[in-house]
Amino acid sequence: MSSSHTNDPRQPSAARPYVAPQVAPQDLPVGYAGFIAVIFGVAGVMFRYKLSSWLALIFCAQSVANMRNIENDLKQVMMAMM
Amino acid sequence: MANPSLFSILCIFSLFLALVNADSHFEGFEAEEDEIEDLTIDPASLRSPPLSNPTTLADPTPKPPPSHLPSPHPPTTFDFWDDDEFEGVPADHPPADPKPENATAAPTPPPAAATPPAPRSFTVEILCGAFLVMFAVNYFTGKRENENIALSWAAQFAAKDSIFEKNFSLLGIGDGGDDAPLLLKEGQTTFKFYASGRRFCQGLLATLELKSRHDLIARIYNMIVPCRDEISFEVFMNDDAMDHVVFALAKKKAAKAMHKDVRDLQRFANVLSPPTGRKWVVDDLAVISESKEVAADFVTDAVIDQVFGEKAFEKFGKGLISLHFSDQHPGVHKKVLLFKFVLPAAKNMADMSRLVALVPYYIDLIGRYKLSSQARSKTEAARQKAAQEAQKELRNAQQEAMQRRKAERKKMMEEAEAKLSAEAIRKKEAKERARQMKKAMPRMKMARGA
Repeated sequence: MSSSHTNDPRQPSAARPYVAPQVAPQDLPVGYAGFIAVIFGVAGVMFRYKLSSWLALIFCAQSVANMRNIENDLKQVMMAMM
Repeated sequence: MANPSLFSILCIFSLFLALVNADSHFEGFEAEEDEIEDLTIDPASLRSPPLSNPTTLADPTPKPPPSHLPSPHPPTTFDFWDDDEFEGVPADHPPADPKPENATAAPTPPPAAATPPAPRSFTVEILCGAFLVMFAVNYFTGKRENENIALSWAAQFAAKDSIFEKNFSLLGIGDGGDDAPLLLKEGQTTFKFYASGRRFCQGLLATLELKSRHDLIARIYNMIVPCRDEISFEVFMNDDAMDHVVFALAKKKAAKAMHKDVRDLQRFANVLSPPTGRKWVVDDLAVISESKEVAADFVTDAVIDQVFGEKAFEKFGKGLISLHFSDQHPGVHKKVLLFKFVLPAAKNMADMSRLVALVPYYIDLIGRYKLSSQARSKTEAARQKAAQEAQKELRNAQQEAMQRRKAERKKMMEEAEAKLSAEAIRKKEAKERARQMKKAMPRMKMARGA
């Protein structure tokens, strides 16, 4: 297959630096883990059921572990805390 | 990286929660103890409280024994636990507060009685705490694993004297330079590699989608629903370097799904049956193309010999998911070549080198490719039709939006009118009243005058 490029295919003049596509915060895919965490948390408080609070904590950890864009998500977390 | 610190905070928080829970438990048991004492001991013998413990008499709440957990319980949790524990007590029984001192003064020491049921109540905490610890450990090991895979891919294909280094003048996301990072990490599972500076194309973006190894829950889920590490290359072709081409190659089932789901394939292309009297791709694969001519020109003998033929496919082509070349790609870039492959394990990265070699091969092949005039006129017509339809659709959408706006305006006007008319009615009424008043006035005057 390498026979097809006999000469150097590189063209430094045509190089363009990478431009990261901008994604609006509301377009990000919704993490289901955070949602489940909230549901379990509310259930834990409402019914005073310990296991559900623990599950909330576990799913909270999962949602933190799955953060894609740190700045964006931290912003959301801070907002949620407030 | 803020993640480790966040995790430590979480861990501390969980410990704190466990402590709080443990606290409330001991209180619960103590309250229960009191009630049991009250029930079993004959009330007549307890009528006169022994004065041996004057401090408890002064204090109405039960005094915790010395071996009890040190922190005093908040009144709210105590109330709550009390409520629960009172369920079995008969209603006519006198309430607990007059004589809790009896219970504490009783000879049985609470810690001995309270310890046996304790392990049962902690199982949830132990399980969840252990799971959290495992989650944290798995987070770091899984993250390392994913990074290893991505780095070994980069070392194999993007390092010095590797295939991408020989084909692209700019590698990585920096502005060039030797120590610019090659890979861009997005989250824990996505790595991106960018290359640019090559004939026929503006740039290449490779996205490594790895398994969620860092996430224990996703890992367990993947045991049931297995998934693979994937890499996809997007090559953005120069506008003048790609003729009218719609072509895709995938496993038979996937090809059918692609033909159904991907819009440009659905519109322009068909699943082709293998031609007779020619070497063709292995039977597992299906070709989707706009015309037979394009398919025949893209499935070259070299490709069949090296990757997709009967002999080579088992060994070299296994990792193929799909190829999809199109000049009608939806999105910013119209002319895009898409390659999707399965990523092998970190130590067998070289297994996919022939698949990766397809990328520059097809860039050159398609960059030089020119359709015959006959096929060209056909594709031209198809594209014009498609463009017209798209325009029509756009116009329809615009018209719809305009109509909606008009209807909204109409509704608003009507509402305003209704308001106005209500006001007019009110004004009329006011006038009427004024008139009646006027009518009444002279009479009054007359009455006064008379």
